[in-house]
Parts: sequence; structure tokens; C-alpha cells
Amino acid sequence: MTSDAFSNRHPAVNFLFFLGAIGFAVLIQHPAYLIAGALGAAAYYLLLSGRKGWKRIGMLVPMFLLLTAVNPLFNTYGERVLFHVFGRPYTLEALLYGGAIAGVFVVMMLWFGCYNAVMTSDKFTSLFGNLIPALSLLLVMVLRMIPGFIRKAGQITLARRAIGLGAGEKNRDKIRHGMGVLSALTDWALEGSVVTGDSMRARGYGSGRRTSFQIYTMKRGDWCLLAVLMFLAAAVIAVSAMGATAAEFTPVLSIAPVSGIYALGFAAYCAYLLIPSVLHLKEELQWRRSRSKI
Amino acid sequence: MAQIEIQNLTFSYPSGRSALSDVNLTIHRGEYVVLWGKSGSGKTTLLRHLKTVLTPYGKRSGEILLDGVPLTELSQREQAGKIGFVMQNPDDQIVTDKVWHELAFGLESLGCDQKTMRARVAEMACYFGIQDWFHRDVANLSGGQKQLLNLASIMAMQPEVLILDEPTSQLDPIAASDFLNTLRKINTELGTTVIITEHRIEDIFPYADRAVMMDGGRVIADDAPRATAEHLWSSGSGMFSAMPTPVRVFYGAGGTGECPLTVREGRNWLSRAFPEPPKHTALPERGNAEPAECALSMKEVWFRYEKDSPDVLRGVTAEVPRGCLYAIVGGNGAGKSTMLKAVCGTCRPYRGKIRVFGRPVEKTPNLFQGCLAMLPQDPKSLFVGKTVLEDLREMTRDEELLAKTAALCQITPLLQSHPYDLSGGEQQRAALAKVLLTQPKLLLLDEPTKGIDCFFKETFAGILAKLKAEGITIVMVSHDVEFCARYADWVSMFFDGQILTTDTPRRFFGANSFYTTAANRMSRHVFQNAVTAEDVIALCRKNREDTP
Repeated sequence: MTSDAFSNRHPAVNFLFFLGAIGFAVLIQHPAYLIAGALGAAAYYLLLSGRKGWKRIGMLVPMFLLLTAVNPLFNTYGERVLFHVFGRPYTLEALLYGGAIAGVFVVMMLWFGCYNAVMTSDKFTSLFGNLIPALSLLLVMVLRMIPGFIRKAGQITLARRAIGLGAGEKNRDKIRHGMGVLSALTDWALEGSVVTGDSMRARGYGSGRRTSFQIYTMKRGDWCLLAVLMFLAAAVIAVSAMGATAAEFTPVLSIAPVSGIYALGFAAYCAYLLIPSVLHLKEELQWRRSRSKI
Repeated sequence: MAQIEIQNLTFSYPSGRSALSDVNLTIHRGEYVVLWGKSGSGKTTLLRHLKTVLTPYGKRSGEILLDGVPLTELSQREQAGKIGFVMQNPDDQIVTDKVWHELAFGLESLGCDQKTMRARVAEMACYFGIQDWFHRDVANLSGGQKQLLNLASIMAMQPEVLILDEPTSQLDPIAASDFLNTLRKINTELGTTVIITEHRIEDIFPYADRAVMMDGGRVIADDAPRATAEHLWSSGSGMFSAMPTPVRVFYGAGGTGECPLTVREGRNWLSRAFPEPPKHTALPERGNAEPAECALSMKEVWFRYEKDSPDVLRGVTAEVPRGCLYAIVGGNGAGKSTMLKAVCGTCRPYRGKIRVFGRPVEKTPNLFQGCLAMLPQDPKSLFVGKTVLEDLREMTRDEELLAKTAALCQITPLLQSHPYDLSGGEQQRAALAKVLLTQPKLLLLDEPTKGIDCFFKETFAGILAKLKAEGITIVMVSHDVEFCARYADWVSMFFDGQILTTDTPRRFFGANSFYTTAANRMSRHVFQNAVTAEDVIALCRKNREDTP
């Protein structure tokens, strides 16, 4: 991912969007909403990750089919029996219900894929730094230490191998080698943490109230985008409360129609889902246009 | 008015070891003071006393005043803001995972408001040229960048005094001189008082206002650099060997007038000393012995880490004769360490042959028993035990061999200490002892002089000479041009994944004009192949004897 118009917005906007998108995906099992969710998430995922995204989506398809097909094996409710498996009925309703559950799973996976690309760790910590300062500093420090540990462990392994203390063939040797690396790593880490502690205290850590530096600021555009998102989400919630998203699969199939005022709710949902993709494409087009002018 | 006043400071550790005795020191606003001495002389202990949160536990008497106020009466917050402290290890000092966050860390701790923080962070990023890597992960920075970040994040708090404890010891020479230049800029442009300990004294000495020398916990000299040099020479102190090359040449050759401190001054002084081209301009080259058997040969070795990554080794070819000290110099990230890994067999080249004593590396069984061993760049990666002895016992049960090796590496008195309690030079020697217990015939050293002061370097060179006398072949990669010029038998230039030239130190450094020793840069307009201070002195004397 190089640049993405939606990722460049304030982390709070990013976070709230994903909260809404994933929340709706989990709570609403209406097929139309699921299909819209899958399309919206897949579109943004592909825009974010490019060609590599197809691979992941390709992996989700068999998962979807499997989950769908498995549900009727456990759930035998339903009127229309398609055939019998081990003497148990395999019903159409249960199959559709399986499809809905699998759909929820797929949409969630796709949204989480987008979430990982957009909400980097620093965005998350800067967002929650003010709420829980101590915890967020801890998180930041852990994030910094993990790659350090991995690098040092590699260094120790190489150093030991170059004096003939590498992991041998036998399991016993391997365990001994592992213990050696771990012991060296612990000493090293302890010494490092003493220095880190000194460095923190030398810079006034623990000398009184702490503030947290905000590298992101809410701009006017961010507020506007947030307002639009809130409005659309409210619309979806409102029609949902009226029953627009009701969907029962078993024992009797009953799905709310998408028409009249319900259609408006569905349109709001689609608009909500498409916002990141639209922002991304809009920027892309803008660049193309300005480039062609040159 | 004095900014910092240390009055009769005496300190001893809880173990009873006395670290400082009766130290008196006055530092004025805006001064650049270098504190130096052998390791263990109490430099670090003294520096840590200038900041109460870092002061070690122990028995103490005497007083430290900052602007006339005892340090202990200042609140932690005031001290954090007024006194900045940069430590040795660039990596461990960093707290957060992002560059921007690290810059703001001190300000966050002091409870600054957003607006001030924003301005200060931006200001510091610009001043230190950090804008380009402002959003990066700290893990992806080079050592030099990390240390610069540490300095910047302290300067963001706008301290009045900056204290640095061997800040460049873990950096390569180019990054180190960059760092020291930035420090000088801070001192001259902002007037921040700088107190620094440093073993790379050559780079600081000419610019420092004062050199404070410590020995055994006492301040034994406190004077301008030139005066310190003269004092050391006339008192015949062993510390004189730490002086910059021009100083050593000047006094060693019996120069008169004002002592030169920089290469430029040294050149001018030599020009005045030899207005006419001198009679002897070159030292005799050591006669090349008949070519010895090859201990290590590399033929057209190619290597890259991943299929799609660029080649790191691009056809390395070299032959290392048996029983010599073979040094490979070159810039950072040129692939020198990778080459050593290839020799060890930890990196498999995809083309080319590496032979150790005539046998291909990959086909030598028990390569690391009695044949080949490598001392890693960071000695800490070898320590696993609670004591040095325990660590050595991991390698061998043979107590006699152990005792002999410990004696050779001069670590016998340290055997009961924890490896992490040793100084950098001692750790280096303990690690070397561990490596030597495999009884290698070919020893590989990766940056062995990193983080070691000049006194330890001499000890280390002595150990290497003894190993050579036992017939061990030593290959070392290093940035340390001065060390290689003085002690190596052969020097190779590593650049762009290849070994470009190989020659004896005199011919090698004599032919270079930038990548060479201070002595050579200072004397190359008069002499042809003088590469160490001793060489220049010898030539000066020889010429003087011949002119009545």
C-alpha cells in the first residue's frame, strides 16, 4: 500500500468507519446487505492491496463454500429437504443459513484485511494514547522491543554457530542450543532495559503529569467525512430498527423485502461501504487528470 | 559565572570500591569540555553524578552546584529539562517505535502542551535533518541515525547542559564524525555547554576548550588541550599515547614552537620543518617473504541474501597467506561482514569457491573444531554464563587450556566477574578467549576495535601478535584505519562487493589520499610512505641526523 485517500484521514475517522462496517457485518444477516458488504469490502481490499488481494479473495471462496455446505449437516431445521445424508435431512433453509453465516465470516475477514492495512500500530496508539497513557506507552515499547529481540536472537545464533556451538542434529543438542540463546538473550535484554530505564528517567519520565503528542489533527475534511459516516450509519440503524434487515432462515425462510423506505436504508448502507473506495478512486482520477495535463 | 561547580566530590560504591576522590571542577556556561582517561578512571561515574536520577548508589560526600543551587534541591522535572544526557548505546536508549514519537518523548514526560510540542519537534527535526525519516520505524535506522535521534530528542527539551558518555563508541568513523560535528554545531550556534567523554580523542581534542584528565578517580589535569599535551609529554605519562597523531609526531620528533593539533596544522608544521625536500622520503619496505601457503582463498565468490535482492558479494577474490594479520577495510554496509559469514559457512555463496587450508569450506567436517572461528562484532552475543569462567567452561573441560587462554587474553583476574560488568575492552578479550578455546588455526575478527579505547587497543594488538607468533592466521574486517595501518601485514580495500586492492599497509595507505591514516594525510606532501606516527617520527629523525 503506497498512498490511499481514506488512510490519510484522521485515525479516529478510520477507526469509527471500521467499527461501523464490521459491526453491521456481524449483526446483519440479510442477504442483500451481506452481498453489498462483501462487494464493498472486496472492492476496497483490492484497491489497497492490488494484485496480491486477488489471492486472498480466491482463498476465501472455498472457505465460503465449505462453511455453507457444512451447516446443514448439523442443522436439520427447514421445510424443503434436498436429500438425506446419513439418514438426516439436508434442507435448503439450513443451506441458505450456512451461506449467511459464511458470508458474515468472509465480509469480516475482508474488512479486517483492510483494517490492518489502514490502522497501523502508531495510529492506534496515538488514538488511544490519551485515554490510557500508561498502557499505550507500554504497547509502543513492546512494539519496539519485539523486532529488537528477533534481531538479537539471530545475531546470537550466528555468533554461536561461528564457534561451533550451533544447533546440532540431535534433539538434545537443539534444546541445549536453544537454552543457550535464550540465556544470552535474557541477559542482553535485561542490560538493555536498564539503559532504557535510565534514558527514560533522564528525560523526565515519572517526574509528574504526562501529555501525549498528537501527530494527527482533525481537519475540516475529517469532520465532514465523519458527519457523513454518522448520518449514513444512523439511517441504517433507523431502518434496521423498523425491521428492514430482518432475516429468518430456519425453520421457515422469511426475509424482509428491499423496497420503499427499506430501499433507502439499503442505499445508505451501500453508500457507507463505498466511501473508502470512492475516496481512493477519486484521488486516483484526480492524479491521472493532473498528470495528463502536463 | 560558573554554571556547574563540583566541590570536593568523593564517592565509593557499596562494595567499598572508591570511584571518585576529592574531585573539584568548575565548568562555565557554553564551554566544551572533554573528560578523558583510561576506562575505569571514574569518568562515567563523575558524569552520572551530574544528574541525580542517574547517580549510582553508594557513599558520597561533597557538593555539586548548578547555577549556584545544589543539584539535589532541583526537582526531577527541572533537572530533566536543564541537563541532557546521551549514553553510549544508540539502540537501548530509544524508548518508542517511531522517530516522531521518540522526538516528542521528553516533552511528553515534561507535560508540554500540544502547540509547544508541535513547534519544538518540528524545529528539532529540521535542525538535525531528520525530516526525511520523521515517520519511519526506529528499527530501520542506522546506528548513526539512532544516535542523532537520541541527541535530537534531548535537544528538543532545550537543555542548558549536554552530557555525553562515549556517544560515538558504537558508531562507524563516518557516522561518528557526523555526530561530533553536529555536537560542535550545537555548542557554537546555541551556546549549550557540552561535557563529553570520548575515546576517539583525535576528533575532539582540537575543538575542545578544556581537557580534563582523570586517573584513579581523581582529576589529574585540567587545562587547554595544547597545554595538556605539553604537560603529558614532559611528565612522560603513559597517557600520551592517546594524543592525536599530529601531537605525537610533533613531540616525538622534537618539534619546536606551537604544537599542532589538527592534520592541517601538522602539515604546516612539517612544511616549515622541511622547507627543502628532505633527503630521505621513504621508509624501507619490508622484504616480501616467499609466498606462504594459503590459509584462506576465495575465488569469484558471489552471494545475495534473497533471490530478488541485489548481490552483496560480487566476485570476491582473495588469498590470505598463512600466519599473517590480514585486514580488510571499507565503508559501512559494503558487505565485509557478509564475506566473513560466507567464510564461516553461515552464508552459502551461489557461485565461487572458498577454501580453508586448501579444503572447500562446505566439505570440511568439524570446521569449527581446531580450524576456524569467528569473533562477532558484538562480544555480548557470545556470553551466556553468570561468570566469565562459566562461559569459558561451555567451550572446554580442559582446565589447563582454559587457564592458558585466559592468561593469554589477560582476563585471569576477571574470571569470577559477570561478563556484563566488564568494560568494553575487557568484554572483547573475554569473548576472544571463548573463541580461542576452539583452538582455531584461522581466526576471523569482525570489527574488533569497535568501542575500545586506545589503551585497550594496544593490549589487544599485543594479544594478536602473540597469536600470530603461534602460527594462527588472523583475518579482520575493520573501519579502524589507524589500527590496520599499525598492526596489519596486509590491507585490502573492500568496495562494491569486491576486494579491489591488496597491499602492505605502507604501500596501501601511501597510495590513498583520503582513505588513509592521519599520519599519512599530514605527511604525504613531504614523505612517501609514512603511515603511522612512528613512521613520520622515524623519517624526521633520520633526516635531521643527516643534516648537520
